[in-house]
Amino acid sequence: MFEDILKSIFSAGTFNQMLRSATPVALAALGGAMTEHAGIMNIGMDGMILMGAFFGALGSYMFQSAGMGVLTVLLMGVVVGLFFALFTVKFRSDEFIIGTALNTFALGLTSFLSRSIFGTAGTKGNPALPTIHIPFLDNVPFLGAVFNNNSLFIYVTWILVLVMWLFVYKTPYGFWLRASGEKPETLRTAGIQPERMKWLASILCGILCGLAGAHLSLGQLQGTFAENMANSRGYIAFACVIFSAANPGKAYLAALMFGFFDAIGLRLQDYISSDLTNIIPYVITIIMMVYVVVRSQQKKRHAHRSKVQGAAAT
Amino acid sequence: MKKKILALALSSSLLLGLAACGGGGGGQAGNKDATKVTLVVAQTFGDRSFYDSSKEGAERLKADKGIELSTIECNGENHTTQMRNAADSADVVVCVGWEFYDIETVAPEYPDVKWIWIDNATGAPVENVLNITYAQNEGSFLAGYIAAAVSTSGTVGAVGGEDNDTINDFIVGYEQGAKYYGEENGKTINVVKNYANSYVDPAIGKECAIALNDQKADVIFQIASATGDGVFEAAKDKGFYAIGVDSDQKYIDPEVIICSMKKEVGNSIYDAIATLIDGDDSRWGTTWVADMSTGYVGIGYGEDGSKQQVPDDVKTAVEGLAQKIASGEIKVDTTRA
Repeated sequence: MFEDILKSIFSAGTFNQMLRSATPVALAALGGAMTEHAGIMNIGMDGMILMGAFFGALGSYMFQSAGMGVLTVLLMGVVVGLFFALFTVKFRSDEFIIGTALNTFALGLTSFLSRSIFGTAGTKGNPALPTIHIPFLDNVPFLGAVFNNNSLFIYVTWILVLVMWLFVYKTPYGFWLRASGEKPETLRTAGIQPERMKWLASILCGILCGLAGAHLSLGQLQGTFAENMANSRGYIAFACVIFSAANPGKAYLAALMFGFFDAIGLRLQDYISSDLTNIIPYVITIIMMVYVVVRSQQKKRHAHRSKVQGAAAT
Repeated sequence: MKKKILALALSSSLLLGLAACGGGGGGQAGNKDATKVTLVVAQTFGDRSFYDSSKEGAERLKADKGIELSTIECNGENHTTQMRNAADSADVVVCVGWEFYDIETVAPEYPDVKWIWIDNATGAPVENVLNITYAQNEGSFLAGYIAAAVSTSGTVGAVGGEDNDTINDFIVGYEQGAKYYGEENGKTINVVKNYANSYVDPAIGKECAIALNDQKADVIFQIASATGDGVFEAAKDKGFYAIGVDSDQKYIDPEVIICSMKKEVGNSIYDAIATLIDGDDSRWGTTWVADMSTGYVGIGYGEDGSKQQVPDDVKTAVEGLAQKIASGEIKVDTTRA
């Protein structure tokens, strides 16, 4: 029996599902990393994903083209980002309340529009994003099944992780972005308005979360929208942002971890109650949070000690 | 000033969103004597099965019997409050969903209101509550039989919304039906299942179905409301068959949906309220199990002329089995209390 369990856990299907489930979370986490660096606590990602899913399906339905669906989502992402920044940066409202309001608003708006346009049943079967076939992986036994024939955005996400990482750590804009969150005064002294970086971060977050939603409705599914289909992925993404200290690469790994536990959770249901497998992501969140807090305290203590030693040496 | 106007505009758009979220189609003002019926559903409409079927039945009552209909969607929360809201202005409140267990305490507070509870039953009879439960296990038995007959791999699957008694009632019947086919034909039929833990997430439904397909299941029964849409998509992508639930769902994708286990929620609501309007309230205070003998559970193969994957001899066998179940010759396992 134990062998069966291991076989079902470490199958190509598990890792393939891991990639699929991780991608929307990872895309949203990339967006969340931007606002996190800019010092905005963004819990509105779930709503942004939901809107992305809806407008992706809507664009695909209206223009009968998945590409136009994605374009619609990009536009929507910019608008939502501006909307979010308007309240959090310009009006300096409480980020927590605006994030919550955004989630509620997104649920109401998408349900309302979906019912007005498609009727209560939502929509399905609209043009979806293509899957990518990599010929040389055809004959590779395990890796082929995992990495081949996936939806476009799974590969796009890899590129975006790299791009965002370069942006945050290797460009002056990324430097300013981080400064706008950590030490806005210094940035202002340097002649750059931290608010501007916050606006930028918010727009990027809107776009990336929108793409996460687009992947959900147009990549993972065939142009399907169902009410409230984001199903708390935005909160999981938020957890990924926190674990990874908003590092895009680490955020992707965190999302993969959630995807992996989702996938094995489903396959362990033959042996454990599904109520238990269902709480795995939340248990992991708690464990990781404890790890992150303990780790940062250790670092602080370490830094303090070396400072004291340094002072003693001189 | 400019800022204020902008803020006002934005907050009013927020309000619009919230209002839309509240949901609920208003009943039109009819004549004063019309029976006021309020339909309260535990989740939302748009599942193309359970909740939509209840609304369909209520809509027909409106057309045939001239009731005044309003609807409330709970979106999975505030069930008790919404029950009270409904009872404040209605003569008949229909609670659709197993979640409304507070009906036992709420209903006695509104003695003049007739309550109908769909899909679950009060522990002890309440004078003004009619419980309607469905022998979904009996219908699922037939679905399991068909699944096993159509399967070429000998493995059939089921995706449940969550691990609870109502969902499991489908699954035990399904499993028994599949095994019954196996014994009858000397084959070993394997039944695999998993639970999505969500009724609104088609992406998870798809993953669940793919995971079962990895375990060789080539006919998969969805019992998960809107999550089940993902099961149909997985069937299309991966090339296996699916079985619909509650309503006749064949039309959603006739290529992959071979049949549906019908649980005629709408018809049973229609039946119950129609008898009430005709002046007979003797059913209240009891539990009505709508089962195969009443014809409220069964198998649907889609509209005439749609593509059929189930061979005719299997359909004949299913009819025979249905009679045996109705007469009590075959006893189907159940998880209902």
